[in-house]
Amino acid sequence: MTDTQTQPQHAETDDARSDLISRVRTILGRRTEGRAVALLSVVVVITAITEPIVFTSYEVTLGRIALIGLVALGLTAVILMGELDLAVASTLAVSGVIMASFESITIGILAALGTGLLIGVVNAFFVIVVGINSFIATLGMLFFLRGAAFVISGEAPVRLANVDAGIAFGRPLIGPLSPRMLIFIAAFVMLHIFLTRVRAGREFYAVGGNREAAHDAGIPVTRRVFTGFMISGFVASLAGVINTLERTAADPTAGSAVLLASFAAAIIGGVLLNGGRGSVFGTLLGASSLGLLQVALTLSGVQVDVQNIVIGSVLLLAVITDPSSLRAAAGSMRALVRSRSGP
Amino acid sequence: MNVPDRDAAVGSQPADDRVGGDDHPAPIIEGRNIVKRFGGAVAVDDVSIAVSPGEIHGLLGENGAGKSTLMRVLAGVLAPNEGAVWVEGRKLDPGDTRAALDAGVSLVHQELSLVPEMTVAENILLGSTPSRSGFINTREQKRIAAEALEEIGVSVDLDEPIARLSVALRQFVEIARAIARKPQVLILDEPTATLTPAETTYLLDMLQRLAGRGLAIIYISHRIPEIFAICNRVTVLRDGRHVTTVDIEDTTPEGVVEFMVGRDLQLELETHRVDPDIGEVVLSARGLRAPGVNDIDLDVRAGEIVGLGGLVGAGRTELVRAMIGADIRTAGETTITRDGITKRIASYRSAVAGGVAYIPEERRTDGLALSMPVVDNITLPNRHALSRAHVLQSRKIVDFAKHLAEVVNLRPPEIHRNVGQYSGGNQQKVVLAKWLGREPEVIILDEPTRGVDVGAKAEIHRLIRELADNGAAVLVVSSDLPELLELSDTIHVVRDGRIVGTLLRDQADETSVMALASGQTKVDAP
Repeated sequence: MTDTQTQPQHAETDDARSDLISRVRTILGRRTEGRAVALLSVVVVITAITEPIVFTSYEVTLGRIALIGLVALGLTAVILMGELDLAVASTLAVSGVIMASFESITIGILAALGTGLLIGVVNAFFVIVVGINSFIATLGMLFFLRGAAFVISGEAPVRLANVDAGIAFGRPLIGPLSPRMLIFIAAFVMLHIFLTRVRAGREFYAVGGNREAAHDAGIPVTRRVFTGFMISGFVASLAGVINTLERTAADPTAGSAVLLASFAAAIIGGVLLNGGRGSVFGTLLGASSLGLLQVALTLSGVQVDVQNIVIGSVLLLAVITDPSSLRAAAGSMRALVRSRSGP
Repeated sequence: MNVPDRDAAVGSQPADDRVGGDDHPAPIIEGRNIVKRFGGAVAVDDVSIAVSPGEIHGLLGENGAGKSTLMRVLAGVLAPNEGAVWVEGRKLDPGDTRAALDAGVSLVHQELSLVPEMTVAENILLGSTPSRSGFINTREQKRIAAEALEEIGVSVDLDEPIARLSVALRQFVEIARAIARKPQVLILDEPTATLTPAETTYLLDMLQRLAGRGLAIIYISHRIPEIFAICNRVTVLRDGRHVTTVDIEDTTPEGVVEFMVGRDLQLELETHRVDPDIGEVVLSARGLRAPGVNDIDLDVRAGEIVGLGGLVGAGRTELVRAMIGADIRTAGETTITRDGITKRIASYRSAVAGGVAYIPEERRTDGLALSMPVVDNITLPNRHALSRAHVLQSRKIVDFAKHLAEVVNLRPPEIHRNVGQYSGGNQQKVVLAKWLGREPEVIILDEPTRGVDVGAKAEIHRLIRELADNGAAVLVVSSDLPELLELSDTIHVVRDGRIVGTLLRDQADETSVMALASGQTKVDAP
């Protein structure tokens, strides 16, 4: 009965070159970042022609990418497991405010990062132990934390006690790279390794792709979800710390535009909102495209409202061109044609 | 019983003395007096089972008999309310999947439990990924995965995501995963449900090979021939209770079915309709053409059950869908006659308005809202009749649904329960009840009993006959030959989108239908 055995999925070819091509095609077919690469290429080419200043003033551009990107990276860890964390922007604000309330900058930073971790634990507690849907649980946290940021700050930006540290933080450290960029790159590398090479991180995909199966396979699902929310909370508070240092003040309204932009970055990067699919590399590309697009639009004098229209369109385009959506769309189009052409 | 004293003191002896009797080697896995309740319902009621190395043990029972629940208890996925699982004379911690895995019990699930976006290698080692200080050892991962695939003789690219594999291949990856854990006990829950006959044969051969190497295998299947092909012993469950455990030589397929349903089904199956009262043509097609459908003339009369036989892919579903305007037609026309007036069927809407009820094959996706209660599902197409001035009359609705649930013998008849909580057979009854409420002139059923257990099947057949007796024109598509022969007054055999032969009840038997379906002969319509 050997004929029932399945042949290798890709036919062997005599020609070594076409073999290579088919192998490359197979590998590309397995990647999820295709659309982010395409979008980034288009944005880069167009801005290089129309607004080359985007690249000469790269500090601004990179700074923008780093802010959206950092939050989006943490978010990716949660979305991969099929959960949502809407509280990231509020976490960013509240940890900034907490940091600024301390006299010592070191204690402030530690307190802020600790707050981020704690928020992650609380989120995971509501989702896993209490069993609230993560959209609702973190929506509650979104309001709660934003309110807390205002209460702690007394409804006004809090100036950093040690302004010099903030100014020092803004200076390039290695070559043109500011500490913010370096932290962002470090976070990216660590998360990338965690999610591709470390067993616990790789299991995030299993938890998001098929939670029942993950549980039955003996994967500690609860612990993984806790870890994911803690990563997201920690990274958001890290973004809050960086933001506060750069502005030398903590604003309770900080990061309100970050939430949706970071979600958009992850989704454009090919991360599936239902979980199980995506990569931090995709998120990085998504964040880069969005950041570049925003800066380019700002520099060409486009109104913020119009910018939002553009970003919204890009996001929709990214979702529509998802291979699985394309397949579904083709199917429903066929059904429509079929139902219309009856006798 | 070969149980060490230490454990014998703690655990109770199995209730059933036949289990692990003298002529069988010591069992490697034993479930003793297992009780599992879900809320008030008892899914498994005091069942004991023991399986020895090298044995393939069949587990049979109707849908909802408690087979899957019992297996999930044995594999440590569910904790039993009473009783315990013993492996090699050691008691397992209840509901501890890890402990069961470590003891060598591997379960291949009924629903595929793979992660679609992860690769073949990652899935095979899911939960036991080889790692060094937290980092995945990719080389080791691939080596073990390749070894497991080789052991079952299947070749597939280790880096391919599961989402890109065929359903059959996924099933084999699932088995490779169980094998990779070096199990002593392998439990398979309906592994052949999605496989073709050739793939099934391959799987059965593979299981016999594995058992030959000393693996204990528990095999759940609806398909009794498979059980008789490979099993040494068989245990039958009914309504969560243990009915019998017998050596396969000591029983027959008929005997096993009797144990499963607890009554003599044979009698029920053979009650044909005597002298059906067949009337005028109600549904008629002339020169019908559509993609996959070639020049069909077909009549269905009032009170008649017409069966469409043929191989899968012969174009039967396409034919009925084109007939009632659910899919595009390229030529020909179909008509429906009601109260002496003949009308052309122009669209699916007009077919439904003319009294056609169509029950498609994929009832779970096309026919039912699983998360809604039975009452809503049954009354959904009948809302108009149950409302006054567009306001639904709730009492009327409940009475209506209760009556229909009784007619189709829904068990348990709780109309406020969600349809999703019922077994496949009962779900099909709900679909039938839904359309019965409309008192259709024409009822078309596509594979009405696929995936339905024996008892529910008999009841669905009874309902179909009753419909015809009450004057409905019935058209049944079925790949289940005994069913087709038993139900139909006339059988049309379809091949390549054409009717290649028409047989009346007394002319038809399995051989003549198969011969036509596979193209060996051609019989002219009488």
